[in-house]
Amino acid sequence: MPVVDIDTDELRGLTGEPDKSDEEFKQDLFALGLEYEGDTDDGLLQFEFGPDRLDRLSVEGVARSLRYQYGADRGVYVPNTNDARWTIEVDSSVPEERPYVTGAVVRGVELGESGLDSLIQLQEKLHATMGRGRAKGAIGVHDLTMLKGQALTEESEPSGTIDAATADLGATEKTITYRGVDAEGDRFVPLDSNAEVTPADVLTEHATGEQYADLVEDLDRYPAIYDELGLFSFPPVINGARTEVDAASRDLFIELTGTDQWTIDKMCVILCYALSARGGTVEEVQVDYRDGATYPDEYGPELLRPDFDTDEKSVTHDRIETMLGVELEREAVVDLFERSGLDAAYSLGEDETVYDVTIPPYRVDVLHPLDLVDDVGRAYGFNELEPTYPDIGTIGGRHERSRLERAVRTSLIGLGFEDMLNFHMTSAAENYDRLRLDERDPGADLSDAPLGAEPRAEITSPYSEDYTQLRTWALPSLVQVLENNTHRSYPQDLAEVGFVAHRDDDVNTRVAEDHRVAGVFARTDATYEDAKARLQAVCDDFDAELETPATEHPSFLDGRVAEVAIDGDAVGVVGELHPEVLVDRDMEVPVAAFEFSLSALE
Amino acid sequence: MRLPQAQVALLEAASATDAKTIEQLADETDLKPETVTRAAFDLRDEGLVAVGERVDESATLTDEGETYREAGLPEVRLHRAAREAGEGDPVPMGEAVGAAGLEGPEVDIALANYARKGYGVVDAGEVSANGDADPDTDPEAAALDALAEGESVDDADLLDRLESRGLVDLDERTVRSVTLTDDGVTALMEGVEAAETVDRLTPDLLTSGDWADVEFAEYNVEADAPAVEGGHEHVLRGMSERVKDVLVGMGFQEMDGPHADADFWINDCLFMPQDHPARTHWDRFALDVPPVADLPDGLVGRVEAAHRDGVGEDGDGYHSPWSEDFARAIALRGHTTSLSMRYLSGYADADLEPPQRYFSVQKAYRNDTLDATHLLEFYQIEGWVMAEDLSVRDLMGTFEEFYRQFGIEEIRFKPHYNPYTEPSFELFGEHPETGEEIEIGNSGMFRDEVLEPLGIECDVMAWGLALERLAMLTTGAEDIRDLHGTLADLEFLRNAEVTY
Repeated sequence: MPVVDIDTDELRGLTGEPDKSDEEFKQDLFALGLEYEGDTDDGLLQFEFGPDRLDRLSVEGVARSLRYQYGADRGVYVPNTNDARWTIEVDSSVPEERPYVTGAVVRGVELGESGLDSLIQLQEKLHATMGRGRAKGAIGVHDLTMLKGQALTEESEPSGTIDAATADLGATEKTITYRGVDAEGDRFVPLDSNAEVTPADVLTEHATGEQYADLVEDLDRYPAIYDELGLFSFPPVINGARTEVDAASRDLFIELTGTDQWTIDKMCVILCYALSARGGTVEEVQVDYRDGATYPDEYGPELLRPDFDTDEKSVTHDRIETMLGVELEREAVVDLFERSGLDAAYSLGEDETVYDVTIPPYRVDVLHPLDLVDDVGRAYGFNELEPTYPDIGTIGGRHERSRLERAVRTSLIGLGFEDMLNFHMTSAAENYDRLRLDERDPGADLSDAPLGAEPRAEITSPYSEDYTQLRTWALPSLVQVLENNTHRSYPQDLAEVGFVAHRDDDVNTRVAEDHRVAGVFARTDATYEDAKARLQAVCDDFDAELETPATEHPSFLDGRVAEVAIDGDAVGVVGELHPEVLVDRDMEVPVAAFEFSLSALE
Repeated sequence: MRLPQAQVALLEAASATDAKTIEQLADETDLKPETVTRAAFDLRDEGLVAVGERVDESATLTDEGETYREAGLPEVRLHRAAREAGEGDPVPMGEAVGAAGLEGPEVDIALANYARKGYGVVDAGEVSANGDADPDTDPEAAALDALAEGESVDDADLLDRLESRGLVDLDERTVRSVTLTDDGVTALMEGVEAAETVDRLTPDLLTSGDWADVEFAEYNVEADAPAVEGGHEHVLRGMSERVKDVLVGMGFQEMDGPHADADFWINDCLFMPQDHPARTHWDRFALDVPPVADLPDGLVGRVEAAHRDGVGEDGDGYHSPWSEDFARAIALRGHTTSLSMRYLSGYADADLEPPQRYFSVQKAYRNDTLDATHLLEFYQIEGWVMAEDLSVRDLMGTFEEFYRQFGIEEIRFKPHYNPYTEPSFELFGEHPETGEEIEIGNSGMFRDEVLEPLGIECDVMAWGLALERLAMLTTGAEDIRDLHGTLADLEFLRNAEVTY
């Protein structure tokens, strides 16, 4: 979950609440869904929250939410924008894997050190969340004064159908270009460096480059943004040093590239709202896809950004009341909407009251009217609601298998077994090799396979080499427990009723799942008889007929191993573990063991 | 041969040729006669000795008899005194008694026996002595002397008289004598060892009745008994059973279903965008198997539409890619909500009509960091309630009731975000021991984007939490790896307090 670092002095300033204590802020923020997690080394307070309100990834956004909560602000706020003076031209050479770009200019912002820190934090947090680790969207913020935009010499020709909001775009004074560049096709000085290098060099030599190399290294051409002086940004990897922003920068150029226009537009909006809160004035930027580049179908080839358009959704009074379980006055609901930073007007329909709600552009989380009901609930205070136990009659009961498991476990414990609960994930070494088993190939005939030799369901990207597959049988887990407890007193009689699985392409999920009853007896005088006696006792408890015809199994001693046949079906194995299995685990007592399918006792 | 100590001593003291009485053997073995008797009978039952019996009548002096034997019988003493004082003439009673040194009851005794034994006559307060009587040959005095010497007295009348005077005790005794049998001799030659006193009450002792005669060794009843390791239900399993009991009691039905499942059921049905961070390869355990064979056709289309376009007139979809290939890929379920989706859709069982309550306590798999509080596999408690017009108040009331069963009161609901529920709440409660406020679950009302594709037209509220979290709260376990998995410490499990 996202974490935002808050400087409470800044919060006091931005909310206009100079007297609020840190403790009060913590309480107020908990009500908003931000949970205090601790302090940073620099004395900032860390808050964790669900990844819905990404506009709260900076102190500016958190302050805005608090101002609504305190009633200092009401309703939708949209910053004013000035007309565009810059254009981002999209060249047809842009790599098709990263076709989209957006941007904005913010002038007159007062960053200072803390503002700069906040901006960098917001950028990083947006990358991590909406930007999906920069793959879906990446931000570059530049010092506008360092950019040189060649004045357009030719009138742009509008072409095709254009979104009403972006129609009639005239030429702007200055232009930068989003285009593709060959890996070795140009040189620039990246951030945190003094040397002029190629984009390819960045990926191998620069720390940040190495980190994000996998996002671009397979592309035919790398994304790059140029101004009159050349390459100044290598998205999504790194900016150039020339346009680096510092605490004194007042005019900023923001560019975002990515795989989804909506996503980068929304990231841009969140940035602009934050900078606007720092006193910046937002100036629109034209995005021009007309030069043969791929453009987003739903927006057309010419865009004016940032897109501060509000959205509208309708929600009924009934839905709000039903969801919250309380009766509300209509004016009170409107008030709650406004305290959530929304605007609402209601109309009395034939059967029901409907609220038409206006949603500001930074709210990326509102997908459905239900999300507006949630806003009303938060503004009302969910913890103000009185819990009720629903007056609904239903019949409870356990699943049949769960009842059988419990009965078998009770039987085993009565026989003196310690009930075990082991991981379902294991490794091939533990599951097969150390039990002297050879794994069968997927699809191979398993009718003569020893129990446990079934092919594995393998984990594609395992956490560690100890957990690379599901266990195909339960005995190896019990033997592992024995191995890890040789310092504990004997006898050690352990049993598990548990899950096993193997790959089986004939099953719908391609994984055949089973539940097994397994037991081991480790003691100085453990014999086959011990295992069989308990096995017999369990079968007797369930009125199941046990036969134990001799068989062979690599994990067991020849001549002391039998198939477990219950009611005529071969369902498992019983015997004395092979000395090699024991010696391999530095065990000094014999072990008798059994394992069979739980379903045989049904 | 091993025999009890007393039997061994007896066997060694006994002879094949001489019958020895119990008394003799008791002297020789330094055992109590009753112990020797018991041992003799036990050995006779084993065929090692023969026990002979005869009945003896024996007389022993009472204390009074002993006194008179030394001091003389009172009537004899009176006779002598009267004879000396009177020299053939009667003497006054008082003088004679004084001269005889008789005191108290001795006077009456002397007078009662004086005439009977012919020592003289007592008449009108005077005592006369018979000159022919010979006190030195008094047979009663002689009998007392004989008995005191250990000799026998054969005159039965005399003995009866002495007994009636209270001077001797007569009793009949069975005198047993022991001789070794041939088997006994053989056993001795082969060697016998002494066993301890009787340690255990055996079936044999009970059935033979010998338990009444044997000596049981005393135990130190305060000493520690040897440790017994009975079987135990696993502590986490015990917690799971408790949770199931509570939920069944609250009217919940249990769900069951596959651990390895299509991402469709695990995530897509839950309106989790396919580029959600939790669905990336490093958070999820994808399995290296072919994609799922069968998904319900109509449902797949409706779920895709929800992702792309949202549901309802004002609904928006995600600006994320969606592919059926991804939905069909098989992974270990990251939460058991996949089961809820299977049941709610009617795919697991029949189509469901409200109201319904369902739950499961089953494993989920997370590619998280393995440490003292996180496992790659954990038990998720999952529950949901389906009914018309549910409110968040119903959700709060239901979960408050659940946690109250575990001693967790005063739940706080922190507004939260899940892709599949709205509103959503993290549940916080006070630790029953430390009082610290801790997260104890995640809950919410399923979104329309989840329910509408499934064909559910009423409300469904759901919640989940890790069983291990509850267990750590209630058992005080500090490292979850002690509880769960092959690193389990048997000592910890054997000593864990029972959950009930």
